[in-house]
Amino acid sequence: MKLPKAVLGAVLVGLTIQTTTSCVKEDVKPKEEKGSTKAPANCPACGMG
Amino acid sequence: MEAAPPLYASVACNLDADLLAAAYPLLEEGRVEALEWSFDALYWAEQVPEWFTNLLHTYAGAGRLVGHGVFFSLLSGKWSPEQQQWLAHLGQLAEQFRFDHITEHFGFFTGQNFHHGAPLPIPYTATALRIGQDRLRRIYDACCCPVGLENLAFAYTLDEVKRHGNFLEELLLPVNGFVILDLHNLYCQLHNFGVPYDELIALYPLERVREIHISGGSWHDSEQAPSQRIRRDTHDDAVPEEVFQLLELTMPRCPNLKFVVLEQLGHALHAEASRTQFREDFGRMESLVARHRAALRTLPTNDFRPQQTWPPSTAAEDEHLHRQQRQLSDILENAPSYAEAQRLLQASGLAHSDWRIEQWEPHMLETALHIARKWKT
Repeated sequence: MKLPKAVLGAVLVGLTIQTTTSCVKEDVKPKEEKGSTKAPANCPACGMG
Repeated sequence: MEAAPPLYASVACNLDADLLAAAYPLLEEGRVEALEWSFDALYWAEQVPEWFTNLLHTYAGAGRLVGHGVFFSLLSGKWSPEQQQWLAHLGQLAEQFRFDHITEHFGFFTGQNFHHGAPLPIPYTATALRIGQDRLRRIYDACCCPVGLENLAFAYTLDEVKRHGNFLEELLLPVNGFVILDLHNLYCQLHNFGVPYDELIALYPLERVREIHISGGSWHDSEQAPSQRIRRDTHDDAVPEEVFQLLELTMPRCPNLKFVVLEQLGHALHAEASRTQFREDFGRMESLVARHRAALRTLPTNDFRPQQTWPPSTAAEDEHLHRQQRQLSDILENAPSYAEAQRLLQASGLAHSDWRIEQWEPHMLETALHIARKWKT
């Protein structure tokens, strides 16, 4: 599926300036509630087992 | 000319720099035909970057975004406030994004914390069926789109492996739901239980398969079965040749298939070589999907929408099942050894029950101990 250039460009910029991983975040402000400020090293979503 | 039936070569894509960097060239070339998003894996984040949201909206607008839940714990004996919150969050997201469907995993989560634990199977009983069907209805009511369940990689016995497909179908029937057939999960079971593909695949309701997952995994030694290695669904390596073969064999058997998804965890995509391998795996999957699509002559016959509505009701629970799950989680997470885990299980409320712990394969109990501890913290 062809993506608009603006969407692709924004992803590229986002990737460049944000060294995020879905489970280890440095740039996305974490929630402070639930005692869960540290995201898991990876997700059992896929890594179950 | 009649339009070809929709069948999309897709990527499981989360807010993960390594995963997105690996997938970016594919996105840029317009080759990713649909996205699967684990919408509940961002529970720790207050704000999701706009650029990621825009990417999701682009696919959603084309009817090519699917949501894959992780943490709902479909078959927990007890209904929790976190599950209620999960549904409310899903409802909000479903208003924000037009999901083509929503999926979750079979099983219950070990662990006391909602976001720490691993999904493990429970006995296929009338209680499990009642709870699972009730929860699937609640998921449908929240998202108002087709709802599906993924087959689990893990099982304690061959009997459980053989009955899994049928039980999935029983769970799904009231919501007219569908199956995500994870072929690497199936591969784990083919290997760990020595069952032939033709025999096992015939036991799945393949007309209910709307999505297929492929991924890689890893081999683990077993003290309980020193002569064999255990295959685990760790999603941290390239897709094995055998799984591509399973894909080729299985697609023609699934008349309602719409999405074929490549999954890999971002932490395994840090090196450029692994990213290149990821793209090669996608390319191979894409070719197989294209070849199958070219041979398709019929449109899907099931829209996977329920044919009824349900009045509001109290969430189904079972206190006895809940106590058993708590006991099992505690043993799996804290027993100091395999032998002690065996002793504790035999002294627990799971002994001589529907759990049939007396028949559990030793190498799979050993694997359950490893899995529960891996996700405990």
